[in-house]
Amino acid sequence: MSTLLPPPKEIAMMPVDWVEERSGAISFGKFMLFRNVPKDISWLQTLGSALITVFILQATTGIILAMYYQPTPDTAWMTIQWITNEATLGWLVRGMHKWGSSVMVVLLFLHMGRTFLFGAYKYPREMTWITGAIIFILVMGMSFTGYLLVFDERAYWATIVGVNINGTAPILGPALSYVLMVGPEIGTNTLSRFYSLHMLVLPSAIGGLIFLHMLLVVRLGVTSPPWSRMEPTEGDV
Amino acid sequence: MPRLTARERREGYQREYAFQQRHGKPFFPHVVFHDTIVSLIVVALIMGLSVLWYVQFGAIPTDPMAERTGGLLGPAYEAKADPGVLGYHPQPDWYFFFLFELLRIFKTPQLLIVGTIIIPTIWMVLLIGWPFIDRNPDRRLSRRPIALAIGVMVPIVLLTLTFYGSKVPAEGGAASTEPGAAAFAAGACSTCHVLANAGTAGNVGPVLDEAKPDYATALALITNGQGAMPSFKATYTEDEISCLAGYVATWSAAVGTTPGPGAATAKDYPASCEKAGGLFAGTVSSASGP
Ligand code: HEC
Ligand code: HEM
Repeated sequence: MSTLLPPPKEIAMMPVDWVEERSGAISFGKFMLFRNVPKDISWLQTLGSALITVFILQATTGIILAMYYQPTPDTAWMTIQWITNEATLGWLVRGMHKWGSSVMVVLLFLHMGRTFLFGAYKYPREMTWITGAIIFILVMGMSFTGYLLVFDERAYWATIVGVNINGTAPILGPALSYVLMVGPEIGTNTLSRFYSLHMLVLPSAIGGLIFLHMLLVVRLGVTSPPWSRMEPTEGDV
Repeated sequence: MPRLTARERREGYQREYAFQQRHGKPFFPHVVFHDTIVSLIVVALIMGLSVLWYVQFGAIPTDPMAERTGGLLGPAYEAKADPGVLGYHPQPDWYFFFLFELLRIFKTPQLLIVGTIIIPTIWMVLLIGWPFIDRNPDRRLSRRPIALAIGVMVPIVLLTLTFYGSKVPAEGGAASTEPGAAAFAAGACSTCHVLANAGTAGNVGPVLDEAKPDYATALALITNGQGAMPSFKATYTEDEISCLAGYVATWSAAVGTTPGPGAATAKDYPASCEKAGGLFAGTVSSASGP
């Protein structure tokens, strides 16, 4: 009878093979992980992965905040206060979300500067740059919509000025301001709209674009530093 | 600069890619290890900032509606948003300071759009389209003088704008005791406008002593807002708005106690100020902002 059973290793692999056969997920994972990068790849090229980490951190802390936060003019500030003062480690979750956003903007600038100075946007990596640039603009949108959610004095007035700035654009401007505020003034609907943009629309767009960005990076291969020479050095096989 | 043919370009890339696959090092685990170290440092930095922020808070205020003040890294939160609050200095988060500063540079109504829309739009188009603008195939900085110059200039310009954008104008009490002056100086108006009579030095909106608005213009702007100027409908009563408009029309471009050119247009001034009472009535000589 025992001859009918496959060896244990194969049994262990069965669910993996099952998934692979039906989705190709395993070979996709191998494609992303088991590839070669230039030997002289630089530490500056780790900034992109740090951005992925911060994005995941923002998503996680954001989900926790969303469990307690209520986006109405009456309750928004109260729930923020409760999260900061009362909730167990609430200050840490809120603090990491708040400071994570600043760190993310700084990292974006550094990563952009790195790809700029390395000339990493040149043929054939134009699309990698473009997806990145759109991500950058969307992240600024995250910052803008997130700022109002605390609903304290600073948030309120800064958002009024921000929306008014939008309103100075010709033709589309006033309409855009109206759409952002859902009316002529900041109120309940403004807050829900900003909240929905901040926690549903923008993050899913950014997440999708990060995925595309990564597919491109892996498909095209990482750029070697501009100073590297294309000659096998000692120890190369 | 030497233009490559499409074919040379493609073959150059393919050579590079093949070389990388043959002589490179595996992404996993080498690079993953480096990436993990940097990610851990970044997470530690974020936690460090949060803790520093937290330990510098003041105690939980006894008044449940008050702000919880802060130290080096700012307060936990400010007081709850209230459209009716008299004086507030609008300030965005630091990564929008550059935009705020552009707004200050182009503050006249005719130019405002240059700072708020035109420059940011050009900036975004250049950002997205950059790979199509820079056609130089070389990646070594020594052969990319123009790109290098831009790469140095842009951060300098952004940092400068950010630095100046972070400055809040000095707060001053009302210089005169005319009805409306104290309310103007204590209110949000002082953040954005220069008005010598009120002793304010705000620098977001136009210098009112130069704009010399008449009563109707001022009334319309304070009521409905325009451009970056907020609407104050929800903040002030009709009398209060009328008082401010009358005050601005009368005392902008004033020389000493001689009213400015807009004085003749002011309706109900200073009667509206007396009706509004309090800070508006002009009996309080030096009001200070909150
Ligand atoms: C956030 C900044 C800001 C605040 C706060 C603000 N203003 Fe303004 N104000 C502006 C800007 C910007 C303009 C130019 C608007 C335009 O015409 O596009 C302006 C224009 C004006 C004008 C018209 C000037 C002209 O061009 O003739 C008057 C009058 C005025 N403001 C009065 C006030 C008063 C009174 C207050 C306080 C209740 C106030 N402002 C608060 C930014 C501000
Ligand atoms: C959340 C935002 C972003 C994430 C998570 C991200 C992630 C990454 C990662 C992991 C890499 C691999 C190499 C490296 O780390 O340097 C990469 C490469 C790249 N990124 Fe980004 N990036 C982001 C934003 C941007 C922005 C804003 C730009 C520019 C406008 C950009 C342009 C590029 C380019 C051109 C490459 C190719 C570099 C090469 O092949 O050497 N990225 N990105």
